[in-house]
Amino acid sequence: MKNSNDEETHLVEKAKAGDEWAITAIVKQQSQKIYNLALRLMQNQEDAEDVLQETFIIFINKIKSFNGESSVGTWLYRIGTNVALGKLRSKDYINWDISVPDSQFESLKGYEIRNWPDYPGDEMGPEAFHACLKKALKALPQDYRIVFVLRDLESISTKETADILNISVSNVKIRLMRSRLLLRDQLAKKLKCVERD
Amino acid sequence: MNTHQHNEGLFKKIQIQFGENIDAEILEDVAKHMDDCPDCKIYVDSVQQTVKIYRVTEMEKSVPDDVSDRLFKTLKLKRN
Repeated sequence: MKNSNDEETHLVEKAKAGDEWAITAIVKQQSQKIYNLALRLMQNQEDAEDVLQETFIIFINKIKSFNGESSVGTWLYRIGTNVALGKLRSKDYINWDISVPDSQFESLKGYEIRNWPDYPGDEMGPEAFHACLKKALKALPQDYRIVFVLRDLESISTKETADILNISVSNVKIRLMRSRLLLRDQLAKKLKCVERD
Repeated sequence: MNTHQHNEGLFKKIQIQFGENIDAEILEDVAKHMDDCPDCKIYVDSVQQTVKIYRVTEMEKSVPDDVSDRLFKTLKLKRN
């Protein structure tokens, strides 16, 4: 009996040979994952669709050179991330040199702290809470949001995130921590779990 | 309720290390500090809760049919 790795290897070999059925099967298997990644990174459906299409155009054009060192899913994921980042850069969505100043993080330490409810969304209602979460995520500085999406939502390793973004591992850790603190701060204010002095 | 002031050095360490493989020495510092600082524990818990909330609520969405149709058309593949 073939295991899933054998099946993927077989599918990839057929796709590399130009087999349309195998290429179609891979597109069907992987498109949801890439679409969700693109939505999270681009924060709008139109751009996410562009990323989805460009990712699979690259996949079809480059499948012959795929060396199998990673799974085809990981390879596609990397292509998708790079396509999305390229778009964000080209639209000047990201100013790579601008970070939230340290002073803004220093100010985080001056809050009064209250315990959060078990599920904060209960007080607002699920739709309003979901909208609040989306707004807070969208409001993050782009370079922080990308790290948060890759590390915390997509569970990409710190090293892989650093490689994809071409930044140091320490920088990934700092951006991740800051993105978490900013999100926590935004939610806490919305949920009235903390108040400014 | 008192205004909370973090230990500056510890806060920096947490910024860099939190959520990753925390160095044992730093972890000990953090643990010692938190023993004496319930506000800090609440704060760190709420950061963890924030991440958890996003993980739970950011559910995978299916690719809409029209998006999928356009993808297959662009790739010149048959969807069915």
